[in-house]
Amino acid sequence: MAEAAQQVMEDRWAGGTCPFDAGWRKVMMWTFIITDGLLFAGFLASYGYARIMSGGWPNQSEVFSIPMIALMTFILISSSATMASAVAAAQSGDRKGVSRFMLLTIVGGAIFLGMQVWEWSHLIHEGARLYANPWGDAAFGAYFFLITGFHGTHVLSGVLIIAIMALRWAKGSATAEGIEMTGLYWHFVDLVWVFVFTCFYLL
Amino acid sequence: MTATNEAGSYKLYWMIWGMLLALTVVMLFLDSAPMPRAAFVLVMVGVMLTKAFLIAGYFMHLRYEALFIRLSVFIGLLVNGAILYFLIIPDAYRILGMS
Repeated sequence: MAEAAQQVMEDRWAGGTCPFDAGWRKVMMWTFIITDGLLFAGFLASYGYARIMSGGWPNQSEVFSIPMIALMTFILISSSATMASAVAAAQSGDRKGVSRFMLLTIVGGAIFLGMQVWEWSHLIHEGARLYANPWGDAAFGAYFFLITGFHGTHVLSGVLIIAIMALRWAKGSATAEGIEMTGLYWHFVDLVWVFVFTCFYLL
Repeated sequence: MTATNEAGSYKLYWMIWGMLLALTVVMLFLDSAPMPRAAFVLVMVGVMLTKAFLIAGYFMHLRYEALFIRLSVFIGLLVNGAILYFLIIPDAYRILGMS
């Protein structure tokens, strides 16, 4: 076993071979995703701690419109599927397909952001603040704005990145690898929402 | 993506999309179903992780990447996530017990 492991180490790391079997852009993007994912993991772990500690955490279904949050989830998942299709189109050389699918992804991201703005303004109108809220534990508002705000910022930057890449693709200055990296980032944003949706809105 | 031919079909992506939506509907159904809290949390976390694996595995093509990338992601996220959990949760229960 130890000899086999040693052999793998020598084969992979002795030089001349890339153990990741991927370009540096992809390795760097995955490194970024892991570190950014840990940031969200820290937020969610901290949220879990605050919630266990709290004596009066609000009932989410009384605060949020769960059907609307479900619709936001549907839109983000759909935009992830269109982005995956854009990556596939780029790799098969379907230039028009890439532009079409990226445009659909931008639209999905923009709708998600619009709905989040509506949700924020609605809750702020009802009295939600970073330091207080009318439903229970004061930390609820702080965690809501922190976690959804941080995620929303990622969505916003994702939409901007996709728009820039779509323009570059239309001008012929973007590569299929660039589209794939953009897709990795967008799927990561979707992945984080899966955790936020479950932990913050449903559990 | 090392396995473009395997993963690069629209059909696969839209199949995964359908599965993700179905799992979301299951979550919404469970949210309003009467069941013990512990079972509810367990099932929801299970469905959440299944969705995460579908997105990372197929949309992000992690399933087709080299072992070292998969290991990096696994160790980086899941193990560190577990460490966060095991460091924080017992402490939270300890403080709750003090009150």
